[in-house]
Amino acid sequence: MTKTAYTGPLEHIGCCCHRIPTSYKAGMRVPGHIYANDTLLEQLRKDQAPEQVANVATLPGIQIASIAMPDIHWGYGFCIGGVCATDPAEGGVVSPGGVGYDINCGVRFVKTNLFLDDVKHRMRELVRELFETVPSGAGRTGKYKFDAVDTRRLMGEGPKFVIGRGLGVERDLDHTEANGFIDGGDPEQVSDHAVKRGAEQCGTLGSGNHFMEVQVVDSVYDADVARAFGLELNQVCVMIHSGSRGLGYQVCDDALATFRNCPQKYGFELPDRQLACAPADSPEGRKYIAQMRAAANYGFCNRQLLMQQAREVFSSVFGRSWEDLGMEQLYDVAHNIAKLEEHTVEGKKKKVWVHRKGATRAFPAGHPEVPEAFRAVGQPVIIPGDMGRASWVLVGAPGAMEKTFGTTCHGAGRAMSRTAAKLDAAGRRIDRELEHKGVIAMASSRHGLAEEQPKAYKNVDDVVSTVHDADLSRRVARMRPLGVIKG
Amino acid sequence: MYELFEHTADLGLRATAPDLSSLFAEMGRCLLASVVEDPASVRPAQDVRIELAGTDREFLMFDWLKELLLRFETEQMLFASFDVAATDAGLVATARGERYDPARHALAHEVKAITYHELKVEQVDGAWLAEVIVDI
Repeated sequence: MTKTAYTGPLEHIGCCCHRIPTSYKAGMRVPGHIYANDTLLEQLRKDQAPEQVANVATLPGIQIASIAMPDIHWGYGFCIGGVCATDPAEGGVVSPGGVGYDINCGVRFVKTNLFLDDVKHRMRELVRELFETVPSGAGRTGKYKFDAVDTRRLMGEGPKFVIGRGLGVERDLDHTEANGFIDGGDPEQVSDHAVKRGAEQCGTLGSGNHFMEVQVVDSVYDADVARAFGLELNQVCVMIHSGSRGLGYQVCDDALATFRNCPQKYGFELPDRQLACAPADSPEGRKYIAQMRAAANYGFCNRQLLMQQAREVFSSVFGRSWEDLGMEQLYDVAHNIAKLEEHTVEGKKKKVWVHRKGATRAFPAGHPEVPEAFRAVGQPVIIPGDMGRASWVLVGAPGAMEKTFGTTCHGAGRAMSRTAAKLDAAGRRIDRELEHKGVIAMASSRHGLAEEQPKAYKNVDDVVSTVHDADLSRRVARMRPLGVIKG
Repeated sequence: MYELFEHTADLGLRATAPDLSSLFAEMGRCLLASVVEDPASVRPAQDVRIELAGTDREFLMFDWLKELLLRFETEQMLFASFDVAATDAGLVATARGERYDPARHALAHEVKAITYHELKVEQVDGAWLAEVIVDI
């Protein structure tokens, strides 16, 4: 298969938003809205991601528009960086492909009271210690083993269950999306295969683009919000990117198999089999929702255990307790999930299924779901970039509620395929190149660093500047990486 | 004959074969090549019998690869060679391999799942072709 460019329409409708009109493709129920600045617009025409935005616009019950964030790239079925809201009252569907295989893949951001000068001579030791302690890479299992009963408790109770075993503190939950627990999940409906895949993987990073990074705040853009978030210049932080591991993948897989006959059964057509979906209010839909929510709770547990291991490593390297090192969680956000949320659609308040596949919730100040500590300023949004340039903390903005169902971007977005990145890296030592830039990187697979090299990604600063200009979320602080471990 | 091809964030598996049965075998080998660095490092030490029902060739290919992936995920089995008999009603296969041994097998990718995206099993110029995108 060759990568073909998208040649269809992208009409600029203001505020970095480009429209694919419903006339573009038969079956589109709503237009496509893609957010991009001029630099990104040029890149996004290079593959079929915009076509995928148009395909999603054909889903039953979709509201307003099939939306894509500036970090959009070609996925399977849905593009990565896509947002799709459906109304169950209008036959709206839920789609496992609109959530992704890695259910509740997301990012957790942990602060410290250390500054650059405290860590810069210890980075090699710190990264080595993290690499040796935190399981990463394909096939790695964790130090925490859960039997089938306890794996179901992880899904049924969320991180509260592991916090009960001393692996974290109650206040971690206050700073997690949905307080680390999505109600309505049913672990009993999750297959034994999924439970088996997840039993030994809780507290492991996985591979691909997942990582744990030690970062330093290198610019503060909004001093007031940064103060409310407890962030300041030169402060050292930890960012964790992982999801629900094999358990989530299996839940998605199981649902895709169940949904095979749904188009026929419920009378709709799909332009791509990977868009498999079922009405939210159908036996198939309800079952997936119960499984997906349970898997999402497991995802929160995974990041809780990853954070706890980071806390223990810092404590052992710096010889102080993690509490003494101020290792408090700023926030944890999901960027592969579907949630039933209230939004205003054409002047009417209604509950819709918001699918965020590679997109992050970004609720503004005053929203009841923003933790009390941040309600006056808005929800913290954590945006991982690539391992050579930068990552960001943003804050939810009112524009997101008006235009994108309370959603913003989720990262830099890939610019090169894995194969191309690997070829590009042939003969180079990515770890040495990063070291010259002041980043210590360790990966468990030979190709890990090559496929994930900074050049393989769009510049996250361009992505962030687009969502800032479109008022989907606003810049608060930029971090640069100091050390990274990868699968 | 099989090869891996590029897809932005993921990976494509492609194989060609003179008949449908050997196409399933080739795709099994292709999956192994995406999971481990050196497929030759996997010894065909243990036989596993796999039977799948299905009349849609594309879904059958999907189910076949999914089954092999699941055996790896849950039983750590890597499969290097295959005898497949594909019929109109499904397939019967013997997959030969061994358990993953970190000392001898370097893993290349964590294949999260087989996807339906642009899934293809078709006859081209008298031979069979299959394409599948896997999520990594």
